Amino acid sequence: MSEVRRVHDVSGVPTHAFSHHNLVWWGTVGFIVVEGFTLFLMMASYLYLRLNELDWPPGDTRLPELLIPTINTLLLLVTIVPMAKASHAAHHSDRLAVARWLWLATALSAVSSVLRVFELRGLNVRWDSNAYGSAAWGLLILHTTLLVVDLFETGAFAVLFQLGHAQRKHFPDVSDAADYQYYLSVIYVPIYLILFWGPRLL
Amino acid sequence: MVTIEDALTEQPLDPGEREKLERTWQPCPGFRGWLTSVDHKSVGKRYVATAFLFFLLGGLEASAIRLQLARPENRLLDPDQYNQIFTMHGTTMMFLFGVPVVLASATYLIPLMVGTRNISYPRLNAFGYWVYLIGGLFLYSGFILNTGPDSGWFSYVPLAGPEYSPGKRMDVWAQTVTFTEIAAIIAGIELIVTILKQRAPGMSLHRMPLYVWAILVTSFVVLFAMPSVALASQMLAFDRLVGTHFFNPAEGGDPFLWQHLFWFFGHPEVYIMFLPAAGFASEIIPVFARRKMFGHTAVVLALVATGFISFGLWVHHMFATGLPQLSQSFFTAASLMIAIPSGVQVFCWIATLWAGRPRFDTPLLFVLGFIALFVLGGITGVMVGSVPFDQQVHDTYFVVAHLHYVQVGAFVFPLFAAFYFWFPKVTGRMLSERAGKWNFWLFFLGVNITFFPMHFLGMMGMTRRIYTYLPETGWGDLNLLATAGAMLIAASVVVFLGNIAWSLRRGGLAGENPWDAHTLEWATSSPPPPYNFTHLPVVEGLYPVWERSAERPVVTGLSAERREILVTTVLDAEPDSRHENPGPSIWPLLSALPVGVTFIGGIFTPWAFVIGPALMLPALIGWGWPQAIPPDDRSIEEVAA
Repeated sequence: MSEVRRVHDVSGVPTHAFSHHNLVWWGTVGFIVVEGFTLFLMMASYLYLRLNELDWPPGDTRLPELLIPTINTLLLLVTIVPMAKASHAAHHSDRLAVARWLWLATALSAVSSVLRVFELRGLNVRWDSNAYGSAAWGLLILHTTLLVVDLFETGAFAVLFQLGHAQRKHFPDVSDAADYQYYLSVIYVPIYLILFWGPRLL
Repeated sequence: MVTIEDALTEQPLDPGEREKLERTWQPCPGFRGWLTSVDHKSVGKRYVATAFLFFLLGGLEASAIRLQLARPENRLLDPDQYNQIFTMHGTTMMFLFGVPVVLASATYLIPLMVGTRNISYPRLNAFGYWVYLIGGLFLYSGFILNTGPDSGWFSYVPLAGPEYSPGKRMDVWAQTVTFTEIAAIIAGIELIVTILKQRAPGMSLHRMPLYVWAILVTSFVVLFAMPSVALASQMLAFDRLVGTHFFNPAEGGDPFLWQHLFWFFGHPEVYIMFLPAAGFASEIIPVFARRKMFGHTAVVLALVATGFISFGLWVHHMFATGLPQLSQSFFTAASLMIAIPSGVQVFCWIATLWAGRPRFDTPLLFVLGFIALFVLGGITGVMVGSVPFDQQVHDTYFVVAHLHYVQVGAFVFPLFAAFYFWFPKVTGRMLSERAGKWNFWLFFLGVNITFFPMHFLGMMGMTRRIYTYLPETGWGDLNLLATAGAMLIAASVVVFLGNIAWSLRRGGLAGENPWDAHTLEWATSSPPPPYNFTHLPVVEGLYPVWERSAERPVVTGLSAERREILVTTVLDAEPDSRHENPGPSIWPLLSALPVGVTFIGGIFTPWAFVIGPALMLPALIGWGWPQAIPPDDRSIEEVAA
């Protein structure tokens, strides 16, 4: 038997913390790194395949449409605002304000997800037409998967906060969800440039 | 028969504390407990045991390969069986044994070593295990049904593509890889967070054990290496399933894209296995040399440097593809450069042993075997890092010899060392030293007799992956010798299994710290209780167990009524916040099953990519459903009321 000596009493250490004080934030950052790097590799693969062709898009493949992707990129960037507001409200433990901003973000994400269908159509190439088509679809589908997952997550949080089932630990979660949304919106900018301006400029 | 008593040696400050902790942290009983466990130790043990099972299967496949090659024109296996078996061997050892066993053992050891109660995301950890298990079972189901992959463990296109590999064999390979990469990424993230945010107060970065450093670097390598192969395997699957053309040159695709993506993962993967193995060595050597590690800081820097350089080597696997000369020179330089941090570690290990009073127990023997074989494998690595030499021996048995010296020598040897070293902690019983020494010598001789002749076979022109050869080649004798060596390895593994079976029942009781080791896992009972430590330890030096005073410095104030863990700051490990760790749950298993539906169904129909996620949704809702509300975690209105 050995005796123990008190060195740290941690009973005063907070049980709810935001940002890097919170374990969940670190997990979110971890997944952002992994997914972001996967998207980066997909963009690199797209550009690598570009090297094999004289023309881009190759042969008589039509150029992708520009209007809807441009609108959707702006919309994704605009979605940052309600998410930032929701995060701000979460820091102030304002449940109903969190719910309100999350509903708006969910609605905008839903519109983005629907517009994504038109973006895919507007690529004007099928995934099995040529490697250009495969890479374009691959990149867009990869981001769409994350977008849809994020839509469900934001929606679930909106329901949770609206119905009053949210616990105190969920406030930092909203803040983490906002960080994830910022990443998802911002990373779409290079994807948009590569996919829709690339064929015009490269 | 002697039974294991929980040798709890700490006197708790509050006598009821231990009972409360027992109640709070107890797992569900029986079979339900098995399915719902989220304790890093039970998941870790299961993970390690599953990985070892795959090691045995991979070993049986290796034995079949060696028996087939034992003499010229052998007809034991036909060419098709041979292709499947060598592919299964490589795939099993790399994807189902190598990386998983590294992360599995870290899952078990890291929370104990950094002095916390559980891993950061215990449910995610359980989910990762189930995904890995489904992937492994899927691969072997395919193999049993004669749908085993047959294009080699790196599945080069176009051979692995739809044109030259019709049927489902390569789909099975591609999706197995996806399963294992998901599991590895999950483990990587949770290990990083556990290491950075859950270290016991006082364990600032400069007091972190070398194994923990090794796992931290490895986990970062996992984060950047695994997405590459997961992406590539999905591209391959889609090329085969829905007619995309990522790798089809006829439609603008490029087989080199596969090679780049695969080796961007494949080379760091070598270090994903080697770095933790080096970490094992750096923990074991000081204990058996009975002195502190020589050059602790240099070893940390070497580990970090290796992690970075590991991403600059991948193209040396592609020297025979006609790369631009500048790129060849760059990757040759990078390949040779990695010898520097590796050399630093080797010299630090030797210096520690030199200046210590070594005790040659089985763990140290395996570490010494590791150093010898790693140096040999490293030297041949430097040789093939040079383009002209590589061109000569590319795709020959010289490369087979090199990679097995590195993988078996620099990975399996330290793993055995670690097994002997930590078995007492995990089970409470010692492994037999006598059987351990037999295990070591048979293995050491076996490995050298098997793989050393392969250097010569390679230089004599024997290419990889041929299922037989003519007597006139003159390769027969050396091949027979290699097969004899393989039988010694098999005998050694039988001794190892016998040792485990015997020691689990009759091995001597280990007690808290049988080796007089210095890291925190040796400051709790063997096996550790579900909550790891009655009081979280406080760290006051680099060797906490060796340096502590008669009174153990501890943390108080952490709730025993709920599964509370202490979150600390990244650099100095000062208390930062308290976090509730989730309890047992069936949802990780129920969420892993739809992942199985997605990727297994995905080799038959693209609709699986819709159905699987749809099934996943209810499982995720169940996972995220708010739990019973602890007193200080009520909704904000209730608090106000």
